[in-house]
Amino acid sequence: MGTEIESKDSSLILIKQGAEARVFESSFVGRRSVVKERFSKKYRHPTLDSKLTLKRLNAEARCTTKARRLGVCTPVLYAVNPVSHTLTFEFVDGPSVKDVFLEFGSCGVNEERLGKIASQIGDVIAKLHDGGLVHGDLTTSNMLLKNDTDELVLIDFGLSFTSTLPEDKAVDLYVLERALVSMHSSCGNIIDRILAAYRKSSKQWSSTMNKLADVRQRGRKRTMVG
Amino acid sequence: MKLIGINGTSLYVALYIDVSNSKELLESMQAGTLEPEVAFLNASLIPDIFPVLAAAHKTLVTKSHDSFITRTLHSELVYNYSGSKHITESLKRCGISESTTYILAARFDATPDEIKAMEKLIKGKEIALEELEGRANLSQIQKHYKISAPELGVSSIADAITCRIAARDAL
Repeated sequence: MGTEIESKDSSLILIKQGAEARVFESSFVGRRSVVKERFSKKYRHPTLDSKLTLKRLNAEARCTTKARRLGVCTPVLYAVNPVSHTLTFEFVDGPSVKDVFLEFGSCGVNEERLGKIASQIGDVIAKLHDGGLVHGDLTTSNMLLKNDTDELVLIDFGLSFTSTLPEDKAVDLYVLERALVSMHSSCGNIIDRILAAYRKSSKQWSSTMNKLADVRQRGRKRTMVG
Repeated sequence: MKLIGINGTSLYVALYIDVSNSKELLESMQAGTLEPEVAFLNASLIPDIFPVLAAAHKTLVTKSHDSFITRTLHSELVYNYSGSKHITESLKRCGISESTTYILAARFDATPDEIKAMEKLIKGKEIALEELEGRANLSQIQKHYKISAPELGVSSIADAITCRIAARDAL
């Protein structure tokens, strides 16, 4: 006969607070989970605010699951609550790539591990871009390394959108390049290793790389002069 | 059988093989005379209990917002498990048909008396939930939920179903 599992899903522990959302640790029918709550912005008109919040909530759910369909590891989506503006995800146990790289910066670089991570990053971004998905916020703090498998998990698809334009993909890579230069310059040239892996995995690498050269010249924003 | 707690509500689940009276179950369910009200799921589409719990969680959230799509709490569970927005098709595929013999029965907040009544209702052999994995029809699941090969490279089939259940209304 049966056993009874009691799970309390109500306890929430704040992990992080950002400008758009708060992230809590919780549990979801017996599994460890992460709850991301988009709060309302009081300075916006209430109607506009709820529309924007809901639109972004749904877009994030959509992009996170689309990335999985493309074979990119993202946290499992457990639930979407359009009333409380929350997303519930699987809890990924492991450090962020940012923490790993910062440790390399202070304690010396583990070349082998760095190379492995960089090629994983390039591989994963190539899969996303070839599938027509642009992450929109590629930074090392949005990449986690699963403790047990060392697998790269991409998180925070809050700024993601679907696009097949080389321009959008190039800007995506450029944002990562800038983030790496400002955060992890002590680790040496990581972006070249990432781009090498990207080139190997992506079928559309050449148009993206050409655009990337343009974007580097002018920065992330398009010049609207003339 | 198993009682599983979801946000203060309990879900009773039991797995049956060789069910011989699914035609009667279907008829009384459609007539609304099933006593007690039970959700019958086509168990060959269930590789693990977790997606069912995610669907049950979703059902309870919908209930608290008073925004059911289907008529009853238990048909809503079947509809939610399907991960699709097509109601008739969902109930047909994830629910039971006249010839279904492999069934997962589920009921929210079942009392001991109701559990006894449910056991009498279903004419089949009860087996442990651990058998779900081995008995699932993987090709049927992949087709129904449109799960691609690259996705299975990074995800278990149960997690892939869970994602679709959760993200359905966001699509």
